[in-house]
Amino acid sequence: MKKNMKNLPPPPEKGGLSPAEQQAFTAAGLPAQDVLYACKGDMDESLCYCTSWLWFGADKITVVIGQEEIGPAKKKKSRRLTPEITVERHADFAVADVTEITCERYVSTGRLIFRKDKEIVYAISFSMSCIEAFDRFAKAYASYKEKGVIDLPKEDDKKPGTCKKCGAPCDPDKEYCKKHNKTGATAVRLFGFFGGYVPQIIVIVAIMLLGSAIAVFVPQISTRRLFDDVLADAAGTGSQQALAAVGTLVLSIFGIKVLNTALSSFRQYIQGTIMPSVIYDIKVKIFKAMQRLSVGFYSSKQTGSLMDRVMRDATNIYWFFVDGIPGIITEMTTVIGVLIMMFIMNAKLSLLILVLAPTVFILLFVGEKLWRSMHHKTWVYRSKVSSMVSDNIQGQREIKAFAKEDEEYGRFEKASGAFRDAELKLALTEATVFPLAEVVVLLLTVIVLGIGSLMVARGDSSMTTGTLLSYIVYLQMLTEPFDFLAWVSNWWSRCADSAQRVFEIVDAPAEITEKEDAVSLEDFQGNIEIKDLDFEYEPARPVIKAFNLKIDAGQMLGIVGKTGAGKSTIANLIARLYDPKKGSIKLDGIDLRDIRFDSLRKNIGLVSQDIYLFMGSIADNIRYAKPDATMDEVIAAAKAAAAHDFIMKLPDAYETYVGSGGQKLSGGEKQRISIARTIIQDPKILILDEATAAMDTETERNIQNSLSKLKTGRTTLAIAHRLSTLRDADCLAVIEEGTLIEYGTFAELIEQKGAFYKLYELQNEALKAAGILQDETNDEEDEGEED
Amino acid sequence: MHNNDITPDSLNTLYVTPENCRFYSVKAGFLGAEIGGETHDRVILKRAMPFKDPDHYICITDVEKNELGIIRDLAEFPADQQALIGEELGLRYFCPVITDILSIKEKMGHFYFDVKIGDVKKSFTVKDISKNVRAHGSNVDITDVDGNRFRITDFSAINAKSRRKLEPYLY
Repeated sequence: MKKNMKNLPPPPEKGGLSPAEQQAFTAAGLPAQDVLYACKGDMDESLCYCTSWLWFGADKITVVIGQEEIGPAKKKKSRRLTPEITVERHADFAVADVTEITCERYVSTGRLIFRKDKEIVYAISFSMSCIEAFDRFAKAYASYKEKGVIDLPKEDDKKPGTCKKCGAPCDPDKEYCKKHNKTGATAVRLFGFFGGYVPQIIVIVAIMLLGSAIAVFVPQISTRRLFDDVLADAAGTGSQQALAAVGTLVLSIFGIKVLNTALSSFRQYIQGTIMPSVIYDIKVKIFKAMQRLSVGFYSSKQTGSLMDRVMRDATNIYWFFVDGIPGIITEMTTVIGVLIMMFIMNAKLSLLILVLAPTVFILLFVGEKLWRSMHHKTWVYRSKVSSMVSDNIQGQREIKAFAKEDEEYGRFEKASGAFRDAELKLALTEATVFPLAEVVVLLLTVIVLGIGSLMVARGDSSMTTGTLLSYIVYLQMLTEPFDFLAWVSNWWSRCADSAQRVFEIVDAPAEITEKEDAVSLEDFQGNIEIKDLDFEYEPARPVIKAFNLKIDAGQMLGIVGKTGAGKSTIANLIARLYDPKKGSIKLDGIDLRDIRFDSLRKNIGLVSQDIYLFMGSIADNIRYAKPDATMDEVIAAAKAAAAHDFIMKLPDAYETYVGSGGQKLSGGEKQRISIARTIIQDPKILILDEATAAMDTETERNIQNSLSKLKTGRTTLAIAHRLSTLRDADCLAVIEEGTLIEYGTFAELIEQKGAFYKLYELQNEALKAAGILQDETNDEEDEGEED
Repeated sequence: MHNNDITPDSLNTLYVTPENCRFYSVKAGFLGAEIGGETHDRVILKRAMPFKDPDHYICITDVEKNELGIIRDLAEFPADQQALIGEELGLRYFCPVITDILSIKEKMGHFYFDVKIGDVKKSFTVKDISKNVRAHGSNVDITDVDGNRFRITDFSAINAKSRRKLEPYLY
């Protein structure tokens, strides 16, 4: 394979054609020399899989449909792999005619569309694997049409979703496909967890080997020597010498057993000291890996499944290493030692056993395959049941409100039943394969007993009674390791399955990373500058488009717009929960990506719509961002967030236990604690993303007043649907479909009678209809909103 | 609000029928429609239940995503209209049918599929297999890491070897 890798054709330049492609297209009479930007697809316009190429030059846009096969060059005697390109058809469009190219994203395909003034032309389709490339093509064309040059944001060297080595499909997070994935085998990586305990492991293995060696020699003394030497000589004599020989032998056997037990206890002691540390390392590693992952990772995973990974998967690995690995070493050395002894005693009989023994291994191998997928299946069902329980507990209010207790019970019963069936199936398979392996071992014993007895009866010098008996003891000694290996393969399946899930988290790359040479914000003022910002959660589905905004230090900016306009995305981008696809966000002139995480988090406070309170007291929660805050500071923050009064009404006041299992608080109360938590952090930039949406107008006003007092020298970004609450903002930005459409003060925007005015009028009408407008401080009910 | 209030009229929902709606093919592969006397040169169709009930409740919008109407049952339309609608939906919900599973290899939580779609061999990678391989009745829908979708139309009818390979992950 390595040789083949070297022989692969050189990849094309980014946005260009490879030499082989240029040659093939030029030969077909296509304008492939004058290429400004190119991309490659995998479908034609009728959604048939093929290879397609698309490029534009100064005058023409060319679409080519054909086939490409990579194989050894036919004409040259080179071993280098070359692409064989066949051009089936092509179409040209004049650059002067095509005013715009758009990339449309559908459910599982995409389509590139050319716009010629009012006419639109369907150019080409492609699968989701190519959507990013076509989206960049459309952007490159737009840039060329607008500026005369191709100005695209820097792209990673590798195209996501394809192997860096062979171009085969792979996970977008991974660099290599299954063949070239260098993450290493599961077992090797698992052993990596033991890297810090090499001396202890050497001692453990040495003791195990010694223990096995002793166990192998015991039958030689306790059986063969007893029968052939001692009992044969002393039979019927009753002499002192014979009795002494028997006594010595019994004492030797006792001494050996005592030594073996002592060694085993010592091994368990050392093992006991390192294993908890190893499991601690695994759990900490998973947890640490989870902390560095982006928010997107969590939204795509079920809580139950993730909790299972931290707790159960780590435990599965733990037990395998505590009991499984030591057992494997002991039993394997026993097998090897026993086989050596058996060969020394009778080579022919041992050869016969060796011929039959592979049957056991075949059974175990087949079993391992079966168990692995069955374990996976039971894991999925278990996760489903866990998630269902967590879902049910969190949604109890809704379940009760809709009287769905019985349906929920039915759903749980069904999922639990599926889990039980999967476990039953696994248990039944185990119960079938294990006895089969035991039958084979039993068969071997019977064969040995038969042939050995015949040899003794015939007076064969190589087989005495003592030898036969010790031979049978050895054979019995083999049964135990076989049983163990059969059982441990099942165990390994469970461990490997768990390990795979653990490594999936450990290997997942963090989307947001800190640069090595990142800087701290020294003497930070709080200026924000957003320039040419483009952002999309998925290719060809832009959320923020060419967004520009400048907020001076100390200003309060209100961001308004319809639901889904991109307001929260802007907040998340400023807090660097995501990175922009194009453009930049600068704080005091420094790009966000060049700022150290700790410095950034210290200076930006974000109160989002979804509030989460951690388990602990209210004071602990307010102190979350500043653990050393004094009680004076906690109270001041709570007062500023209009939370102090309601906290003091609670029986345990600031020591009220909140979070999971704690005191129930209303949505508005939780929001106020969250605001206090951010205020105590004293950030230079405060982002309030619908932070007061669950509060009544009066409380909201109170908070606004408090924040106004606190806002001196603080840049505040407030996102709100209730436009009246943004009246005090220095400036307002109106966003529509990810673009800034209006900017100015409240009065200016009202005067402009544009989009903001419309929104304002609509809200006023709605409030009038509800009879609220006359007095805006008439509250929306906040009470009874228990979470 | 009483249940009686939720009527198509009160919510401005127009359920289209062959009587008030006619689709036509526009040059360059787009679908146009005449709905309630109004002509729309390009309409977009979206299924409300793409997996379980793909032929009912198909929403019609214009390019600005304004809803123009809903097809309650595709079978109400004549064959030529169904073909036009089917073509547009086929483009949006393209989902090649897997005829044979050559191999499924698992490595570090990623499942590498080698399959045959008719005569064409195709490889793709699936992550989070329990989420991305879903059975809907006799159909099995698979979504790969890029978001491409594949379907096995009748899992019980596919060859036994293929079935055995996918079965452990199908629940």
